Amino acid sequence: MKNENKLTLWERYLTNEIGIEFKACLYFFAILFFYCVYRIVNGSFDASILHMTEMIFCCYIIGYIQVFIFNNFDEADKLHTREILGLIICTALYILVSYLGRWFNRQMLVTGLFLAYILLTYICVIVIYRSKRRIDDKKLNEELRLFQTEHKKNDKKID
Amino acid sequence: MKIDIKQIFEGEDSIFIRYKQETPTIKRIVSILENEDNKLWGRADGENVAVSYEDILYLESVDDKVFAYTTDKVLKIDGSLNSFMSANDDDSFFRCSKSMIINVNRVVALKSLSSNRIDATMESGEHIMISRRYASDFRRLLKGGR
Repeated sequence: MKNENKLTLWERYLTNEIGIEFKACLYFFAILFFYCVYRIVNGSFDASILHMTEMIFCCYIIGYIQVFIFNNFDEADKLHTREILGLIICTALYILVSYLGRWFNRQMLVTGLFLAYILLTYICVIVIYRSKRRIDDKKLNEELRLFQTEHKKNDKKID
Repeated sequence: MKIDIKQIFEGEDSIFIRYKQETPTIKRIVSILENEDNKLWGRADGENVAVSYEDILYLESVDDKVFAYTTDKVLKIDGSLNSFMSANDDDSFFRCSKSMIINVNRVVALKSLSSNRIDATMESGEHIMISRRYASDFRRLLKGGR
């Protein structure tokens, strides 16, 4: 008998892929915001298509690294050594690509600010996911109590 | 053991049990008659033991053997987790992973984890993981649907 609950290989692949795509979009928009602010501060109102292409590819590849090598650290329940190492390495990769791709004209001060910004983005994402889970905990436990109360009522009726 | 079955057309249904010694089989028959099918039978320490369904915390399948856990007993039961779920239509038992079934009424707390998994703390203090595959069905069950 086929188990309807069982996810197919395709569905499992799709679930992972959607998670990575979502991550890539999230970090791409965060980086793009920093990049746009940098361009505006420097008096330019244009964004380079080449830079944006590099950004989205970079976010996508780092998304894979995050998920498959570093235990999806921005969604992790607890930050252990591997997750912290992932946070540092992924931040370093963003900095390296931004430097090689001349996103900020290799200006050390802006690159330093970008590093702080990426770390802040990661910390914000970690905090947001934790808050989301805490709210979910409350909701789940409320529903559990309700389920148990309803179940007891039904049992009494049957008795 | 001699079995004498007789159909009657009037009066109340009745069952007589005559025995020289109260063996485990006799105990089991009496228990089934007294409690109907509200008990799960299994073996613990080489003896046939019955526990109420509501006392079961969870069931676990280990190497094709199924064990039922209460706060103070571990019973080896016949059949599989699938057959247990098919025979039992009580919605307080939920298949939470490939190898486990939990009694939702004996869960004291739930904790949402990453990747849409749920950690269930049982009355015994044990933590059971509701895997991602079953978590959405579990949420649906708590909301009143199955």
